[in-house]
Amino acid sequence: MLDAMQWAIFTAAFLAAGVEWVEAFTLVLAASVSTNRRSAIVGALLALAVLALLIVTLGVALVTLVPLEVLRFVIGFLLLLFGLKWLKDAIQRYTGLKRKRDEEAVFLSNVDTAPARPSPEESIDSFGVLLAFKGVLLEGLEGAFVAISFAGGGMGALAAASLGVASAAVVVVTVGTFVQAPLRRIPENTLKFVVGILLTAYGTFWAGESYGIEWPLADLALVLLGLGYLFASAILITTIRNRTTEVVTEPVP
Amino acid sequence: MNIIMKVILAIYNFFVGDIVILIGVTATMLILALINKVDGLEPLRDGMGAILIVGVLATLVLSEARGIATSERSASIR
Repeated sequence: MLDAMQWAIFTAAFLAAGVEWVEAFTLVLAASVSTNRRSAIVGALLALAVLALLIVTLGVALVTLVPLEVLRFVIGFLLLLFGLKWLKDAIQRYTGLKRKRDEEAVFLSNVDTAPARPSPEESIDSFGVLLAFKGVLLEGLEGAFVAISFAGGGMGALAAASLGVASAAVVVVTVGTFVQAPLRRIPENTLKFVVGILLTAYGTFWAGESYGIEWPLADLALVLLGLGYLFASAILITTIRNRTTEVVTEPVP
Repeated sequence: MNIIMKVILAIYNFFVGDIVILIGVTATMLILALINKVDGLEPLRDGMGAILIVGVLATLVLSEARGIATSERSASIR
């Protein structure tokens, strides 16, 4: 049974990986439509095997071989970089500074670049395998990194994160199998915003612990950090939106 | 661009993709390391948590400010 901290880690990994699995699903669907379903599934499964191997070997190696203070310092630093990148991009999409991802457009552009005719269902088409493999591997790498980074919390945290990543894959595949179309209704930017907040909070927490900072209220400090970053991000979004509105409505001299 | 540079760029884009974030977080971590190690900065050690949080928020704000400046520059060119 997971404790409170592990549930929080499971949630962060689930959301982070979920967003990436949605994007990967679009590419697998494109591969399936442009070649055949078998090739797409083969490519996706190969990539999933590589990702699982990466998480297990690298994650376990980090937990067992690297001293905890060093691990928390490096993981904290990387999580801060990664979390701020996600948070910055999500804020820019909320404020219109960056375009939101359109799964439908990505799907159509990948189908357009495919061979002229789909391959017979029983054959294995290398283009389809490669498209699905590349899509799942590249999109899944970010989810895999999030899972591995929770090695900073020990073996229990790594297991909770891995479970989150795997659960997200099951949910996305299940929903996608029923929908049979690019998953447009998933609020991707909202999920990325939440994940950005979570990863930045964890990065701050662990980087701080690696310097010997004793956070008040122990693990509860994570919640307070998350809420603090959420509040600050909301102010930033409002400020940027007001500023970009002023720029648009300023009269031309 | 040679293969080593391409790999470094790929890793950079994967983890951060924004030079302001990279510099901001690195600078914050270096400042904390200095406070932790230098005896003369011992009075600041109790405030390291706050300094870390301020450093992270300042990095975020500066990164967004750069995004706005780039956007306004593109708009004025058009």
